Amino acid sequence: MVDLAVCDRCGLCLPLCPPAAIHLALSDLLVDRQTCTGCRKCVAPCPVGALAMVDA
Amino acid sequence: MPDVDLLVVGAGPAGAVAAAQAKRAAPELDVVLLERDRAVGAPVRCAEGVGDAGLREFANPDGAPWVARKISRVIFIAPDDSEVRVAERDVGWILDRTRFDAHLAAEAVAAGAELLVGTEASGMTRTPDGRWHVAVRGLRGASTYRAKVVIGADGVEAMVGRWAGLDTRVPARDMESCAQYVVQGIDFDPDAIYLQFGDAVAPGGYAWIFPKGVGIANVGLGLVALKSDGRNARQYLDAWMDRRYPNGARTGYTVGGVIVHTTVQQTYADGLLVAGDAAHMINPLSGGGIVNAMKAGRLAGCTVAAAIRAGDTSARRLAAYHHAWMELLGQDHVKYYRIKRALESVDDAFFNALARTVNAIPAERRTLGRIFAHALVQHPQLIPVAARFFI
Ligand SMILES: Cc1cc2nc3c(=O)[nH]c(=O)nc-3n(C[C@H](O)[C@H](O)[C@H](O)COP(=O)(O)OP(=O)(O)OC[C@H]3O[C@@H](n4cnc5c(N)ncnc54)[C@H](O)[C@@H]3O)c2cc1C
Ligand code: SF4
Ligand code: SF4
Repeated sequence: MVDLAVCDRCGLCLPLCPPAAIHLALSDLLVDRQTCTGCRKCVAPCPVGALAMVDA
Repeated sequence: MPDVDLLVVGAGPAGAVAAAQAKRAAPELDVVLLERDRAVGAPVRCAEGVGDAGLREFANPDGAPWVARKISRVIFIAPDDSEVRVAERDVGWILDRTRFDAHLAAEAVAAGAELLVGTEASGMTRTPDGRWHVAVRGLRGASTYRAKVVIGADGVEAMVGRWAGLDTRVPARDMESCAQYVVQGIDFDPDAIYLQFGDAVAPGGYAWIFPKGVGIANVGLGLVALKSDGRNARQYLDAWMDRRYPNGARTGYTVGGVIVHTTVQQTYADGLLVAGDAAHMINPLSGGGIVNAMKAGRLAGCTVAAAIRAGDTSARRLAAYHHAWMELLGQDHVKYYRIKRALESVDDAFFNALARTVNAIPAERRTLGRIFAHALVQHPQLIPVAARFFI
């Protein structure tokens, strides 16, 4: 889950994501829930804590 | 379907210099430079410090409108807050990157490249005709560009390389998570940059004060999240600011990632090069990447121009870029990375003790060289953390 109100769209989480499930586009940041493996590698490094896991 | 010789993705220092260089080397080429942001150079995700010599290879800072401040001193702050002043002349500059990046992009346009802002690449595929088909969308709608060569200069995201099958992933321990405020109305030496190390301040990284003028500075820090106590970079920065500058006006805010790794294993593929942050070409000790990005962009632009002219844009031909980069700076980064890993074992007590020893040297003789000589005697694995700062 991305908290878009907090996310600054800095792009830091993209190269941390092994399956490339995170997409930064012109106006938003998306996590593809089909591709995300739930590995959490993106969670702690986000400088503003915008990424959190949700139980699907 | 627009047909171009070279499509450069990302108009930061790497992409702008690459586009300009390719066009200068081979004026007959159609070169297009894409930038997702609506303005080149904004938002600024950078502390904006560069060394004098590296900058001068690309632009003359004397009296330039894209310079914010000249720097002549470095001040280290030990974890216990004791300060070590180091006198150096002409250390470097603090840029105004909104203007600097725009200046570089304008040079690419002056050389004949076409710049499209508010326009992003969103994926690409290799076709049997030996071209890249790049999906592009933006202010002018969506279209597919056909390109002989693509240069991925897309910064920390490094997605262009991944689309082309290169491994540009970053292990978490080699990612610095950064947060920074522009702060006004604070008291510090406006001719100096300040660097503070320490586990409580910025575990695995450091905090900085980079002056943009008298009383105005970029105040930020970078840390490795794996070493943090659970707080994120912004929370560490808020704590540091509250302690040092509780009354400063925080007039701007930014976050970003710095890849403190070595150059990716392979920076080329058929019809493709990656340059700058997108290829992990940052100095892994200092986190500086602006000048590196320009140097890589220059190499990439030259290599691509010659390859297209020769009618051979195969990976085998473009590999020359990789070798030239490794010789220029890539091998050095491998050494700095080893030092970075060794430094991870140095604790706060060491930095505090070092600050005391160095302060015993008379101020006028206190050069970076002497400081590191002292550090080396006590801790052989500690080689210039910041002497290399501005590379
Ligand atoms: C907080 C912080 C402080 C820093 N401080 C310093 C410093 O003091 N000194 C220093 O030398 N370095 C510093 N750096 C590092 C420096 O900012 C980078 O190394 C430098 O900007 C790299 O240039 P680049 O051209 O490779 O990438 P960038 O400058 O990141 O440019 C990449 C561009 O590509 C665009 N883009 C990305 N994807 C797409 C797409 N799909 N389509 C179109 N456009 C796209 C982006 O919008 C961006 O404008 C700092 C970094 C951070 C985060
Ligand atoms: S790291 Fe955080 S702020 Fe940066 S793009 Fe990812 S979610 Fe957004
Ligand atoms: S949890 Fe892992 S797979 Fe999912 S978005 Fe984050 S890094 Fe990618």
